[in-house]
Amino acid sequence: MQNVAWFVPAWPPALGELVMLGALLVGGLLGGELVHRLAALPRITGYVLAGVAFGPHALGLVREPHFAEARVFIDLALGLIMFELGYRFDLAWLQRNRWLAVAALGESVGCFFAIYAGLMYLEFPPLLAACAAAVGTATSPAVVMLVTHELRASGQVTERMLLFTAVNCASAYVALMLMLPFLHLERAEDWRSAILHPLYLLGGAALLGFVACLAMLALARWLGKREDRQFVLLVALIVLVVGLARAGNVTVVVALLTFGMFARNLDYDHALLPLRFGYAAQLLFVVLFVLTGASLDFRALATGGVAAAVFIVVRFLGKALAILAFGRLSGLRAGGAGLLSVALLPMSGLAVVMVQDTVALFPRFGTQLAAVVLSAAAVLELLGPIATQFALKAAGETHPEA
Amino acid sequence: MEFPRSQGLTLGIELELQLVRAHDHDLAHEAGDLIERLAKKKVPGAVKPEVTLSMIELNSSIQGGFAGALAELEAQRDAVLDAAGVLNLRICGGGAHPFHKWAERRVFPDERFRRVTERYGYLAKQFTVFGQHIHIGCPDGDQAVYLVHMLTRYIPHFIALSAASPFSQGEDTSFQSSRLTAVSAFPLSGHMPFVGDWAEFAEYFDTMRGFGIVESMKDFYWDIRPKPEYGTIEIRVCDTPLTVRRAALLAAYAQALAAQLLEERPHAPTPAIYQVNAYNRFEACRFGYRGKFVDPFERRTKGIGADILDAVAGAMPQARRLGSAEAIAELAGDVRRGYSEADWLRARFNERGSLSDVVRDAAEEWAALRQ
Repeated sequence: MQNVAWFVPAWPPALGELVMLGALLVGGLLGGELVHRLAALPRITGYVLAGVAFGPHALGLVREPHFAEARVFIDLALGLIMFELGYRFDLAWLQRNRWLAVAALGESVGCFFAIYAGLMYLEFPPLLAACAAAVGTATSPAVVMLVTHELRASGQVTERMLLFTAVNCASAYVALMLMLPFLHLERAEDWRSAILHPLYLLGGAALLGFVACLAMLALARWLGKREDRQFVLLVALIVLVVGLARAGNVTVVVALLTFGMFARNLDYDHALLPLRFGYAAQLLFVVLFVLTGASLDFRALATGGVAAAVFIVVRFLGKALAILAFGRLSGLRAGGAGLLSVALLPMSGLAVVMVQDTVALFPRFGTQLAAVVLSAAAVLELLGPIATQFALKAAGETHPEA
Repeated sequence: MEFPRSQGLTLGIELELQLVRAHDHDLAHEAGDLIERLAKKKVPGAVKPEVTLSMIELNSSIQGGFAGALAELEAQRDAVLDAAGVLNLRICGGGAHPFHKWAERRVFPDERFRRVTERYGYLAKQFTVFGQHIHIGCPDGDQAVYLVHMLTRYIPHFIALSAASPFSQGEDTSFQSSRLTAVSAFPLSGHMPFVGDWAEFAEYFDTMRGFGIVESMKDFYWDIRPKPEYGTIEIRVCDTPLTVRRAALLAAYAQALAAQLLEERPHAPTPAIYQVNAYNRFEACRFGYRGKFVDPFERRTKGIGADILDAVAGAMPQARRLGSAEAIAELAGDVRRGYSEADWLRARFNERGSLSDVVRDAAEEWAALRQ
């Protein structure tokens, strides 16, 4: 008999990437809304939980190839976030308020050495401990930025949280680059490439950020003060920067961060309008966090659990030390320093990438260390947004209806 | 209610100021941090919270004239700028923030302001507008009542000279001063009733208090009100100017006018003052110096700018005695060349193309010429 319903696809139908993406978005949205309504938790935590549920270790709906397909969304989301973070880096403020500069640098340095000491105590080799310490120094730009937006937070703790995050991300990358020569030498490579490689990675990224900033200022001047046009311009340049950074093998995150920092501090005739994330950006952020959740690996907790707990505790203490020491001097009100320390708890999801790169270089110690850092990252990915939300609310800096 | 005997014609100034964020020039919510910081410093006068966390109020001490008032305002401005710099806040004059959204405002955590919000609803947050209040010391209550009536004729002058709120909620309002519209929404705004003397006023006040409508003079949001607590009358129609200098100039003008009125007693108050007031007041808010002015005594119409020039000339002898002749001449010069801060703000917008830039320029204007 002739098949009259030939136009109906065979069962099961081949689901394309659009279906996948749509499912991620719906799942993330529902997860975010659920945790927000049921437990008053940040929506980000819900996105991450949805990702964990979709991920390879649970339902298995999201697997490696999907990450590659969604790459452009992740790049754009991170691009917007890193740019905005760099844009909040106000050099004039640090010049006016020297104690603030001391506190910001102290926070990075204190955090680095606290983790380093903790890992040395757990008898990790010095170089690996230092690498992990550098990775742990960075606060998650995506989490602090999105919690700020979700809660419509504004105030001293919020502003300083964003500033300190910009500083500790930059510090983390510089520290990692400083360690690169040693990593190279351990692998008995030529000392010249050992020195040139980090210079190229950082210098190239900064140069790219600088050139992108000049291009944006020139084009923005020509386009005029129209928010819609300037937003498209920014997105276009972010995509270009990410693509060029990859093509040139320089650090993407540093290129974006310096792009934002230059844009804030070199815009002498104020050609740029303040950036506002719209609904469209919200979409990117849902995808970003769902996929981050899917990439988390909780299995390592079984072996690295105790060490991860130590990692998290010393990391927090390291951050809190400098902030508590210099907070009042830098003009923070009583109680603000403690809340700022808590707000900075989220750990950068970039840690996962950085650690995987290191593991590739040092299979021997790498796996062991990766278990510690990845466990800590997984735990903090869930606890971090909650900590930040708590701190900003307790500081009284969030919108009453947010 | 007693009106204390006080030295006549002293000056006092209150200025409500905008706290602005550095990165996008929207209003900040950091009045609490700033006031806490300033509490540790030696600042002349007083710095106080206002209804929302986006504003602070500077209060001067009792001043004899223009020079002293200006010096104190400058010292206050510098102290506030220092503290604000540590917190990365900008300070801005102007009667309204050009593009803030009133629904974003947060009420200062304080019992009095919470009550205001509970009572007035959205009006409380919409009241995030920024005015200058000028106090003039009065020898006694009867003279205070006389001054309130007679200065009402000059309300359009103070509106036009101070107008600095052409933008509101992201739009050009076409007004020179849009701020007073926010005040008019309150049930106890408007003007003092037409009473003959202090005894009659005290009776009116007791009646209103008897009804439970008011508790203190603070509850009347009149354009000009007697302030027996200080022994002054208080002119409340001015937008906060973009510079402290202009704030001192306006105070000097009020002082010279009051001196002339009390000395010369040119007219007896008549209800006509209040019959033309709403019209004159609107003309001043909408058109500034270019607005029309109906003179309640001479019963004719002229331009507000022309009336200011006549009034400055009339008060010049008193201004000379008070040491503010140059000050009020400076205001007259602005009227002659048609300069107003509302127009300045509009010009900044036309040149820059965004309201965020207008706020940045206004903040730079506020900080300019600091010592």
